[in-house]
Amino acid sequence: MQLKGIGNNLTVLLDPEQPVDDLKRELQRIFDPLKHMSANAHIVLDTGDSEKHEDLVRELGGFLKEHYRIGTVAEPLREREHANAKDWLRQKEMDGGPFGRNSDVLMMTGLVRSGQKINARKHFLLLGDLNPGGEVVAGGDILILGSLRGKAIAGHPDNEGALILAMDFRPIQIRIGGLVAAGLPPSKGKTVEFAHVLNGAIVVDDYVKANPFGGLPWPEIR
Amino acid sequence: MEGKIVVVTSGKGGVGKSTATANLGTALAMEGKRVAVVDMDIGLRNLDVILGLENRIVFTIVDAVKGKCKIKQAAIKDRRIENLYLIPASQSDNKDVLKPEEMVRFSKQLRSEFDVVLMDCPAGIERGFENAVAAADEAIVICTPEVSSVRDADRVIGLLFSRSITPRLVVNRIVPDMVARGDMLSHEDVLEVLSIELLGLVPMDEQVIISTNTGTPLVMQKGSKAGEAFKRIAMRMNGQPDIPIEVPGARKSFWKKLGLTLTRNR
Repeated sequence: MQLKGIGNNLTVLLDPEQPVDDLKRELQRIFDPLKHMSANAHIVLDTGDSEKHEDLVRELGGFLKEHYRIGTVAEPLREREHANAKDWLRQKEMDGGPFGRNSDVLMMTGLVRSGQKINARKHFLLLGDLNPGGEVVAGGDILILGSLRGKAIAGHPDNEGALILAMDFRPIQIRIGGLVAAGLPPSKGKTVEFAHVLNGAIVVDDYVKANPFGGLPWPEIR
Repeated sequence: MEGKIVVVTSGKGGVGKSTATANLGTALAMEGKRVAVVDMDIGLRNLDVILGLENRIVFTIVDAVKGKCKIKQAAIKDRRIENLYLIPASQSDNKDVLKPEEMVRFSKQLRSEFDVVLMDCPAGIERGFENAVAAADEAIVICTPEVSSVRDADRVIGLLFSRSITPRLVVNRIVPDMVARGDMLSHEDVLEVLSIELLGLVPMDEQVIISTNTGTPLVMQKGSKAGEAFKRIAMRMNGQPDIPIEVPGARKSFWKKLGLTLTRNR
């Protein structure tokens, strides 16, 4: 469960499959520190799928009003009913939320096919391939345990410290921070390579030989 | 038993969707299935020409979907092959005259009339594609060993998966000599990118052009390489999935092989 500010409202993203008591406990965890701000606030309870959960929303709404003097509680306004709830969830997952936003790393499995685009708030880890025509945009590093054949944009928009790593490094285009590299020479074989910024230009090196983090005295959180 | 609807699609144009549809439909009908091939390329109809049924069109799919005629009136029966029917596209409308919901409704009738319905999907991923895919149970993606075709096929595969349809792949127009020289992607390269189930490999064949011009599907002629490949694909679709997939041009005579090794070693 997490809290978001959207427009003038606070939106709570929650999983309707969880038992009501657990959800209430989660609400307490989120709203206890906000008690001083929550009076008369307008809360939207987003259950994250296209099914209506009127009973659940009413129940949790009553709970919130009782304990935190919340003004109004509503289900999110749906501009258009999502014809295919699965599609919508999948897209949401690909955009990095609601599940991925808690973590610094968005980890996914499978193939990113042509025309598909994934946004990660920070680091992105893919167990699978990024195909030509596919695109990944990450605020931090991009690690692909498979073939990178598409477009990878790391350190978006201005983090030049980010790196792009792939087991099979054959991208169409890569960007790190504001720098762009295209038309890279074909790599020799399936070795693990990575791209990083060196003296204002993108450089691709053999990961094992270059050992970019070998000089660190102890492990750091990236 | 209810029939199944199979959409033949590719994303890119000109890779052999209509040829594949015509040949697979003919081959399946020759195996005794009651087959309808449906031309979904409204405004640019082709399938009637490939099947040689151009002069017999009275009603089109648009008439049938809109209820202006019955399916039986729109479905043209092939006189050479029993059990093969063509539902032609309209040439004077455009793709927007049909809606996906209408196609779903229409497909229910099709399923009750035929064992297999092959939908020839138009190029592109817009309304024409949506109409063709709306009611499909299965999908066949046609792809040639070219980078641009692979890219478009990949996009289409993604769209099919998002509609919970699991596509199978046919690699068309393989030129074995070019593959051997390394000038053309091999089917392994294509599969590595697309990673879906392979249904068949079809070699490049000049006969295709002749058969299109004369309106006789290749599978009706003996000794055509592409025709044989399509026949085997049809058998795989028709409950014989274990028929081995033959790689075009893999068989070389002993003397040719020897010659090649000698020239290479020199």
